[in-house]
Amino acid sequence: MNLRYLRSELYYQKRRTLAAVMGLSIGIALLIILNALSMAYRRAARVPLQEIGADVTVQRSGNVPKDLTGAVFPCSAVTIRDEEVKKIETLPGVRGIGRAVLLWVFDSNRAWIVLGVEQQNSVGPSILRHFVIEGRFFEEGKPEALVEVSYARQFGIKVGDTISLAKRDYPVLGIVDASRAAKIAVANVYLPLSEAQRLAASSGQVQAVSPFNPADVNLLFIKADEERIPELSSTLLTMMGKNATLGTPDSFLKLLGSLFALSDKFTLAASLIAILVAILISFKTMAGNITERAREVGVLKAVGWINRNVVTQLLAESVTECLMAGFLGLLMALVAAYGLSFMNVNIPIPWEMSPRPHFLSGGGDQIFKTLRLPVHVPWTLALFAVLLSVVIGGLTGALLGRNISKIKPSEVLRHE
Amino acid sequence: MNNGTILRGTDLNKSYGDLEVVKGVSLSIDVGEFVCLVGKSGSGKTTLLSLISGLEHATSGHVTLDGKDITSATEDELALFRRENVGFIFQSFNLIPTLSAWENVALPLFPVKMPGEERKRRATDLLKRMELGQRVDHLPSALSGGEKQRVAIARALVTHPKVLFADEPTGNLDSATGDAVMDILKTLHIQERLAILMVTHDEDLAKSADRIIRMQDGEVMS
Repeated sequence: MNLRYLRSELYYQKRRTLAAVMGLSIGIALLIILNALSMAYRRAARVPLQEIGADVTVQRSGNVPKDLTGAVFPCSAVTIRDEEVKKIETLPGVRGIGRAVLLWVFDSNRAWIVLGVEQQNSVGPSILRHFVIEGRFFEEGKPEALVEVSYARQFGIKVGDTISLAKRDYPVLGIVDASRAAKIAVANVYLPLSEAQRLAASSGQVQAVSPFNPADVNLLFIKADEERIPELSSTLLTMMGKNATLGTPDSFLKLLGSLFALSDKFTLAASLIAILVAILISFKTMAGNITERAREVGVLKAVGWINRNVVTQLLAESVTECLMAGFLGLLMALVAAYGLSFMNVNIPIPWEMSPRPHFLSGGGDQIFKTLRLPVHVPWTLALFAVLLSVVIGGLTGALLGRNISKIKPSEVLRHE
Repeated sequence: MNNGTILRGTDLNKSYGDLEVVKGVSLSIDVGEFVCLVGKSGSGKTTLLSLISGLEHATSGHVTLDGKDITSATEDELALFRRENVGFIFQSFNLIPTLSAWENVALPLFPVKMPGEERKRRATDLLKRMELGQRVDHLPSALSGGEKQRVAIARALVTHPKVLFADEPTGNLDSATGDAVMDILKTLHIQERLAILMVTHDEDLAKSADRIIRMQDGEVMS
């Protein structure tokens, strides 16, 4: 292979080179951006759960309470027994569990959404300790409360006040801005888990819907090995029964509804189509270019180039063109990814993950987690795309080179 | 002048399907001999040149160069044979448009393992001999017809061939330029004792040769 010849051919035959490079580069760019978008939606779908340090949420739905007085369970979250929790902790892939109790408390003059959270746990809503904007976080076992900032503003509740929930008094220790933390399991008031369990266990409305012991919960947050989440989800559904509701990255992805989010198969099919079209365009362009050069190949052979010399030269040209196409496609994809990263994506939070009574103001509104679409091109995808370009160049060059090298010089040189 | 046969074709036949283009032709060229193959268009002279130069296989017959039989050589063996033994000059120059004059001259040396500088030196020396010392870096598109043919002659000489084959080398040139090209060929023949087989339909040009072979309907007439 002669580098000087290669460089001259690519440089002086700009039209040929550009046509071959552009066709493939667009295909490569499409391949990269389709996959980057798909990954971005997947990444975005994980955010609501990641914000509370979990990969899976577990709930069990039950009946609607007959009488909305005192502490009741939302129908989307009834008892998960302590024995079940202990069993879940031992399942393969489970790295940590966060427990919570979610209650609606209807007092004579006010309705509260109450969440009982653990005092110390990196999994689940106890991460709220980092979002106390006034006062301090509570200590486990003490009947103390934190109030959500918007609720506190609405009802003029301040640190040091005492609030009454289901006829129990709780001093307000702090104000929490949960909107900065997560959109899942957002409440008006946060109690130590044991206090919420006590409220639930002592409530006739709760017991009427779903028997509840003081060690039970109705919300579970699971930190799991990413690759084992599908297997774990399946086991949990079997273990918890038909009323179980799981929140997983996949369930959020489905809610997103985007074509890119809907299916790996769509991304794979679209990528394959993009790359096949690119290969066809590139092959056709290169085949045309090489056919135009039949006479040149005849000259090369006439002056003593053997078939291998011809194939190697054409192969090198083809690989170089496709490598250029790979880098150009990568550049185009990086620019597109940068542009797309300014796009916002609204991730709908299922009602059952942050249940509010429908009759309260905004109770039926859909809650969204809005974030910038986290599009970026991972180096592995970039490397794959560039290597794919080289492989396409190699195969195209070898195939076309082999064909044209069989030409007999006398056939193309005799017609002057 | 003759010092033995360098190239011999024996009972050469070439058919394309039912069409017999070369019929039982035998010819030989001696070392340093300038032979012209003359005939009308379609007489088979270019095909005969292709057979005897190793550009294509004969349907039957034998070709020997410097005592070596190339009749049953493979495509690659023929290519190597051409690189090491013969040079070609074509009517339409057949220069590679993207390569400069010196690169075109060095084209047969590209697959040969040798220092790039040596390749360039050999090509440039030949171009200087062709009085193209100022045009070594020019692309063919920047050269006149006569200059292009002189580049083609330099390319044919760069591997030090034993025989030079020229197929209508002045066919695309005006008479003055054609004469200049013929002068170069005659000089090569006289000074370097290079065997030359030139195909032409021009009887006047053929007079420059030591010997004229006339072809008609695929057969040698004289």
